[in-house]
This record gives sequence, C-alpha cells and structure tokens, in this order.
Amino acid sequence: MEKVLSKITEVTSDPYAYVAELKERKGKKIIGCFPMHIPEEIIHAADMIPVVIWRSNESVTWGHAHVPPYDCGITRSFVDDAVRGKLNFMDGMVFHVRQCLQVGEFPLIIERNVKPAYMEILYLPPIYQGDPIKSYLLKGLESFKASLEDFSGKKISDDNLKKSIEIYNENSSLLQKVYEIRRDRPGILKAKEVMQIVWSSMLMPKEDHNELLKELLREMEKKTVETKKERIKVIPVGCLCQTLQFDILDMIEDLGMIIPDDDLYVGSRYFANKVRLNGNPIEALADRYLIKTPLCPTKGVWDVHWGDEVIKKLRNNDAKGIISIRVKYCPPHTCYYPDFKSKMIEEGVPEVMIDMEHEVISLEGMKTRLQSFAETMGGV
Amino acid sequence: MDVQYKINRLEATNDIRPMVNRHWAELRTAKERGEKVGWASGPSFMFPYAMGMKCHFMAGYASYCGGIGAANEVLKVAEMTGDLPETCSYHRLHMGMAEAVRKGISIMPEAILPLPDLMVAGRYCTEQSHYAEGLYRRMGIRVVPVELPFVFRKEDRLMIRDFVYRQFKEIVIPTLEEVCGKPFDYDRLSEILSILKKTATIRNKCWEFFKTKPSTWTLWDYAVSMAPVIYMMGDPVGIPFYEKLLKELQDRKEKGIPAMAPEGEKYRIYWDGWIPWAFLGKFMRKFTPNGALCIVGRYPWEMFPHPELLDPEHPVDSVVDYMYGEQAGLAGNMAPKHSIEFIGGLIEEYSIDGLVMFSSKSCRMWNLSYLDVIDTLDKRCGVPGVVIEGDMIDQDMVSDSQIETRLQALFETIDGRRKRK
Ligand code: SF4
Ligand code: SF4
Repeated sequence: MEKVLSKITEVTSDPYAYVAELKERKGKKIIGCFPMHIPEEIIHAADMIPVVIWRSNESVTWGHAHVPPYDCGITRSFVDDAVRGKLNFMDGMVFHVRQCLQVGEFPLIIERNVKPAYMEILYLPPIYQGDPIKSYLLKGLESFKASLEDFSGKKISDDNLKKSIEIYNENSSLLQKVYEIRRDRPGILKAKEVMQIVWSSMLMPKEDHNELLKELLREMEKKTVETKKERIKVIPVGCLCQTLQFDILDMIEDLGMIIPDDDLYVGSRYFANKVRLNGNPIEALADRYLIKTPLCPTKGVWDVHWGDEVIKKLRNNDAKGIISIRVKYCPPHTCYYPDFKSKMIEEGVPEVMIDMEHEVISLEGMKTRLQSFAETMGGV
Repeated sequence: MDVQYKINRLEATNDIRPMVNRHWAELRTAKERGEKVGWASGPSFMFPYAMGMKCHFMAGYASYCGGIGAANEVLKVAEMTGDLPETCSYHRLHMGMAEAVRKGISIMPEAILPLPDLMVAGRYCTEQSHYAEGLYRRMGIRVVPVELPFVFRKEDRLMIRDFVYRQFKEIVIPTLEEVCGKPFDYDRLSEILSILKKTATIRNKCWEFFKTKPSTWTLWDYAVSMAPVIYMMGDPVGIPFYEKLLKELQDRKEKGIPAMAPEGEKYRIYWDGWIPWAFLGKFMRKFTPNGALCIVGRYPWEMFPHPELLDPEHPVDSVVDYMYGEQAGLAGNMAPKHSIEFIGGLIEEYSIDGLVMFSSKSCRMWNLSYLDVIDTLDKRCGVPGVVIEGDMIDQDMVSDSQIETRLQALFETIDGRRKRK
C-alpha cells in the first residue's frame, strides 16, 4: 500500500511538475478544467489529458494585480499561478462560467495575460425544470465537443466517447470501492490520504489512475484495522472547488474523530455519478450533469435539501457529527449555509462550521472549535 | 485660492420620492386589496406586472431600503437569523426582511413587504437564485427561476437568446398563468413596453446633457430618478417626470447653470458598478470638494438604453432582445471583455477624465476583472482608473479612508497627465 500511496503523494505534492512531466511523457495536450463539473470524458475522447484545476498552497502574489482579496482561495490561487507562468504547460483551459460570479474573472484575465492555445467557455445551466434547460445544455456540450475536435484535429466518434466514458466510469467505481472499504474499516487510510487519492484522480490520466487504484484496492482488501471504539465518526462537508489543507484533516483525526465518508469536492462528490453507456453519449453526459445529488449549491437545486442528503450519509455511516468546511468568500456555500445549519439543528445533528482560508494564519482557533465540538459529542 | 465646489440641486428630482413612496405603499397594501404579489430579480418583473401582480424588484427594494435608512436594521435581522456577513447584501436584506415578517421581529414598517405568491428569479448572478432558493426552503414560497447567463463570447449570443426566450415562453408565462388563474396578458405587456419606450426616450434626451461641458446634472441625480425605467415601468407617471427634468436641464443649459457650482466640474468621472444606495450623500461628499463629478456608469446605463429597439408588437422578443439583442445586449456588457468596448465608448462620448470602479465586497456582478479592465482602458484611451471597495447598503463594508486615498490618487494622476499634455 505504501508504494501506491507514495506515488499518489508524489503526484499531489507537486502537481505542476507532475502534469508538466506527464505532458512530455505521453506526448499529449493538457487541458485544465474549472471546476470539476466539466465533462472531462469529451476531452479524453479527443485524445488529450484533462486535469481539474487546483489550488496551490502558496500565498497569492502577482495575482493581487488581477483579482480582489475577497475572492475565494482557488480563484486567487489559480489566477496567481497562471499569471506567474506556472501553468504554461497547459495547452488549453475550459471554464464553466456559471459556477459562480468569481469564475467570471477568468476568461479576460487569462486571455489578456497568459492565453493558452485553446480556451473554451462552458455555460452549464442550473438544474431548473423544463426542456429549455436540457436542450441548452446539450447544445453547449455539442459545441464544446466541436471545439475540441477543432483544436485536437481529431473527430470524436460516439464509440470513442463511450470508451472514454467507460474508463471514467471505471475510475468512479474503483474510487467508490475505496470509499466502501473505508466505510467498513474507518482508519484504514488517513483522511488526507483519501483526499490525495481523489485529487490524484483529478490530475492523472484515468487509465493510469485505474491501475493504481486496482493495486491499492488489492492491498486494502488485505489490510486489517484495529477498531478504536472511542473514535467519533464525523462527515466533512463542502470545501467547494479546492483541496482542504491536509493539516486540518490531520487535526480532526488527532482530536479523536474519524472520517468514514465525506461530502467534499475533492472527495466523494467527484466520482458520485456515473454516465450510462447506452444511447447518445453526449446526452448521457448531460443526464449525469442533471442528477440533483450529491447536491451542489452552485446548481440551483431547491427541491432536494442538502442537509437531508448529508444526514442520510451521516446515518449510513453511523456517524455522529458534521463538520462544514466553508471556503472563505465562496458565495454558493455561504448563501446555503444558514439553511443547512437550521436543518442540522432541527434534526438534532451536531454540526460545526470551519472557515477554510487560502492563507492559513493560525490553526489554534480552529483547533479549539473542533476540540469543543468533539467534546460535545462525547469525544476525547 | 482653492475653489469651493458645490452641487446645484435639481428641482425636478424632488418629485421622485413621493412617486417611489406611493409605489412601495401600494405593494405593501396589495394583499389587503386581494391582489397577488410577486418578487423578482433580473429584468423579469415585467412578466408578473403584465399579469397585474404588484411586484418588487430585488435591487429596487435594496435601493429603496438604503434610501429610507432601513438597510442597516434589516441586515442585522438577517445576521441574527443565521446569514453570514460576507453574503451578498441584497440577499441578506431580503432574508432579513422575510425573517422579520415570519418571526415578527420589529423593523421600520416602510421596509416590510408582503411575502410573495410567486418569485420570478432571474439568475444573472448565482445569488439571485440563492435568495429565491432560501426563501423557498424557509417559507415554501413558490419560485419560477430563469437562467440569464452573461455572454462571454459574441458567437454564443444567439444560442443564449433562444434559451432565454424559451424559458420565458415555456416556463415563466405558463407558471404565471397558473398562479394568477388567467391567460397571460400579452396586451398589457405591450402596453407596459409602450409606456417604457416613451419614458426611456425622454430619459435619453436627458442623458444628452451629460455630454455638455460642464455637465448640467450628475450621475447621482440620475440614480435617484431611475425608478420609472426600472421597477415602476408601465406606470405613466414617469413620462411627465422626465419631461419636467428635461425642461429643467434645457433651462440650465440655456442659462449656463452647471451641475457643479461655481463654474462646472474639474474632473468628469465614469462610475462603474452598483450605486451605493445607502450612502449617496457620503459618496458625493468625497467627490464634490475635489471638483469631481460622476456623470456616467454602466449600471445606470443598462436600463433600456435603446428605447427605439423596444417593439411593443412583439413584447416577449423585445424583452429578450433588451438583454441579448445584437444592438442592445445588456447581458453582453456584463462580461468583462465586452465591458471594455462599452466603457471605452462612453469615455469618448462623454469626455471622461477618470474611471472609478466601485467594487462591492459582497457582490461581484460588475467588478469582474476590474484591474485588467482598467489597465486595458488606460492603455487604449489614456484614461486612468481606480478601484474603490465598499458596498451598496452595508455600512460595515465601507472604509472611508481607503476610498479617499484611492480617489486622491486618481485626481493626482489626472492632474499629472494634464500637466504633461
Ligand atoms: S469555491 Fe465557491 S466561490 Fe470559489 S469558485 Fe468554487 S463555487 Fe465559486
Ligand atoms: S451578488 Fe450582486 S448581482 Fe447578485 S444578487 Fe447580490 S447584489 Fe445582486
């Protein structure tokens, strides 16, 4: 298991070097996608490598000349990376500009300062009722496909796209399996290792990642874990569009809590829904996008309550509490949060919110909050 | 000796307050008369209006609350009931007001609105959906949402136009018919557009006076006069109001009375972003002593700048073309790249000396890529700009000293460039 995990750590500890090297090694074009809702399968079918754009751990420097300090961490970090030339290995970038207002910052800044050979805009709609939404989504995906064909010089046949979908579906199944084992044997992996596993899937070619996951799963099947009864199961929720600082995940565990499952962006949300293989593949991708759960506060779903979904997850995992991780200056999560909180109160579920800032100044305050949260649940 | 600048106030704008008050009073009492009530965001309110609903408009309510001094206490209710202070202040304002109604928390009576029978949630920005979602979740208020994307690339315009048209025709109109229990009133929508067309045509004649040097009025005069072309559209009172305003501006021009005494403005300023509704006086006091006059802005300019394109014979197309038409294209101007062309045009047309980009900390609608927009325009048009940070209604987000320092820097840059010429 250590071998696989160390490969994964290698990928995620310096994604810039990894992806740049990958490009050379595979001789393929790299397309950065923001956020993860971009249907990567179409890019894969055009024989290019999609990677989900990530947040660096460095302080924002030149980026401040382009975006305000009250943009969320990933917005500032991505712009900073881009204008400093750290992402020059990307041949293309795709932005879903309806994710939130902040993504609207990207097209002009990137085009004006560091335009890659290919830059595409997707307007994925919120999941509102009625046929106009679906047909508009389909048009958008068709035109995305056409632009990728144009750029790659490769026609994307339905068969090719289905093959890519299969590879991606397999990745989702394997990741789901990792999560299942963790659910049965919490503690088999550290929370930060799980986050790294998902993050590496966002960065690696899925074929390679599938192989790694198969090896990991073989090792996981064999490994036993000593059950520590006193540990309190908690479910972390949110942290949209970016990784959480690993220190925070370590802190949760060091405080005697354990994470059997999550509802995180760099977590179970990434691989939650597979794409059906029958019928028109673009339509199948659209249908996957239109699935309302796991609920994403950026997608305009209001007949499903995020709180109810998370409580289901809590109960399925026999967990006791929820840790909401709100990215500072993330309006979709911030707007939804009061209703999420009320639901937790209504259902008597212990919940605490921590703010994830891009630049962590001190973890002490967070530690105190988490400690007293653990104590209220009867923890150590 | 330093010139003592001051603003010559217009007479005509005194008429606006009673009109606006009447509008909100009628909305407040609508339920007592058995009328249906709608709330709307984005330019979607003409549809409930056409059905005879009394209707609120998200930004209009915020400006009204800011104007009557109620914003602060309503925002406090929102925080008390769980909203986080960095949330869009318009969102918080509505949550606060709705919670005040639901929980019987006392706020200024003029700020209380009846909870709606339907919310038409036009989603220009995602928060316009979030507040409707929140009200649905908390109070079960029925919502009909409409996705209204900004157009980032010109080639996407037609696809988006078609999509938006279909949402109005296939989703919004049938929902209104169901809620109101009658067929959609296309004739009334046409009538509203005819009135709007007349009102905006006269308003455009008033705009021409921003081109005169010195200007005969200020952007703030216009900001307080906007209601007839926004949430009071369809109400014919806007026509005599703008006629009176036009006459006063003509008079001023003939008599040589500038907006700024004693001899007109020293700096002609473009203002981008929302209007700081709750702090108009405060902001004026930061500009006026320096001889700086705000005269144009993208947001105030967006309200039906091309009345000639409004076609009451084809009302739904007309509304959609206002947002996504080739010539008007409001939703296009919101995307940063196109805003450069748009602002560049205003700089030329209105002889602008400097740009002030008002960046709201809780709303990013207008301030996308501001620094790059300023830099591009400076290189292209030779006009400098600054970003000032604040909020439309939340006093906790407005820092006076930061704003003053940035404005001073702008005035000095303009002076420096003038000297070099
Ligand atoms: S974290 Fe939130 S604010 Fe930032 S890009 Fe994602 S959805 Fe937008
Ligand atoms: S974020 Fe801005 S545009 Fe959106 S609702 Fe709030 S104030 Fe309006």
